[in-house]
Amino acid sequence: MTQSNGGARPRLDRTAIAVENLTKLFPKPGRDGAFTVLEGISITVEEGAFVSIVGPSGCGKSTLLNVIAGIETSDGGSVRLAPRAARANAEPRIGYVFQSPRLLNWLTVEDNIRFVLEAQNVPRSSWPELVRRNLALVGLAGQERNYPLNLSGGMQQRVAIARALAIEPDILLMDEPFSHLDAITARKMRFDLMEILARAKPTILFVTHDLAEAVFLSDRIYMMTTRPARIFKRVSIDLPRPRQPEDDRIFELEKTLMRDFFSVVEAGA
Amino acid sequence: MREARRVTRLLPPGAVTLVVGLVVWQVVSLFFLPVFLPGPEVLVERMVEIYRAPSAFGVVGVTLARILEGFALAMVVGTGLGLAMGLKRDVEIFFDSWIMVLLTFPAVCWAFLSVLWFGLSNAAPVLTIFLIVLPFVVMNIWEGTKAVEKGLVEMARVYKADRSLMLRKVLIPQLMPYIFSSLRIALSLSWKIALVAEAFGVASGVGQQITYWFQQTRVDMMLAWGVSFMIFMVLLDLLVFRVWARRSFAWRRQFAS
Repeated sequence: MTQSNGGARPRLDRTAIAVENLTKLFPKPGRDGAFTVLEGISITVEEGAFVSIVGPSGCGKSTLLNVIAGIETSDGGSVRLAPRAARANAEPRIGYVFQSPRLLNWLTVEDNIRFVLEAQNVPRSSWPELVRRNLALVGLAGQERNYPLNLSGGMQQRVAIARALAIEPDILLMDEPFSHLDAITARKMRFDLMEILARAKPTILFVTHDLAEAVFLSDRIYMMTTRPARIFKRVSIDLPRPRQPEDDRIFELEKTLMRDFFSVVEAGA
Repeated sequence: MREARRVTRLLPPGAVTLVVGLVVWQVVSLFFLPVFLPGPEVLVERMVEIYRAPSAFGVVGVTLARILEGFALAMVVGTGLGLAMGLKRDVEIFFDSWIMVLLTFPAVCWAFLSVLWFGLSNAAPVLTIFLIVLPFVVMNIWEGTKAVEKGLVEMARVYKADRSLMLRKVLIPQLMPYIFSSLRIALSLSWKIALVAEAFGVASGVGQQITYWFQQTRVDMMLAWGVSFMIFMVLLDLLVFRVWARRSFAWRRQFAS
């Protein structure tokens, strides 16, 4: 059970995710040989930190998350995941929020959350409390018996977030979770996510193509180029929390990073 | 004009076709002997005659039991095999051509072979039904697994769902439309095959009755057995499968509008 005493995020010292020199090849369609999707990726995420990977669409960010989540293999390098200090000897629990909600539309909202609780062998006695608390956390209290297709896109993504949080993940992977939403809903969701995470406190690796989003949310940003995907910059975002999305310092940082990105792309071209 | 439209609106669609068909049938039958081509009226009389004897329900029961055995066997094995073929590449490669063989092998041969191998036992018609229905079920479910959403399977794998949970909550619900269409195809195939199989090799059931009346050249009695059995099967389809299907898709119907 996480304590919700609010306030600052935990000190960043224990490593939760260590990706070293990761390489991933994809076979060339229809021919022999392969092309490199990920090349020598190294990323460190400390326990309780919010780290983003920013890169253009199609650069292999989702592939990276899938390798970290263990649903795709790598062709070199290593991925090490550690559970939070409180459950040091257990398997790390991984929550994943995808680009689209990926809910089971034939199950109610409540049953969608129970699905992952059953998958993770969470004792049944704690299900009602976990369902209730996490739906309340994402602002969907009262929607337990509703079906996903009755909800708006934003609400469905909230269910997906509640589902990921319900297993009390050590590590939360998020793959452009707001990119399918309209700008206003997305802004609200980012704001709410900060609130939610101040209480749930998992370690987060967040993938996005939106620099402003990354700057607003993250403690640190890794910037990625494409074809093959390589990390070319690591930036710490030291702005105090809680942050405001319209903060001038966020705009300034975004502008600087955008310039950096294009200078690297143009140098490579 | 407006009157006519109002009348057609009052009738369920298809009722007009049915009435016209019955009238034509009745008129044509007037030119023939009832034992050669009975009219609908005669047919109903014969059916009442048949089912007045309680033993008739025994005859229907025997056939029904065989159908349900062969049908259930084909559904269970076919769903399992179709799923395995859709999910595992090696299984698919192994069975691919065998399913084609089963699908194209002449049904009559199965009927004869079953009798030769199993004699005049219950097993012969059940096996015939099973072998003929199986490939249809396999093809349908196999097709269904190809339409399964990969993103959901990926989601379930990320959250470490075991095989049973994956099947129950992720795969089977997505396959339900395919399972239901298989059920209905399988049932209608089963009962037609059952009658043929019975006509060939067993001394009981509706098929045997039809053979008997064929030998007496009594078209009226043949049709009375055939049509009444058809009515039972249509009722079974309507009452069991359609209601069940409607329940299973409640989650979808809610948003159909």
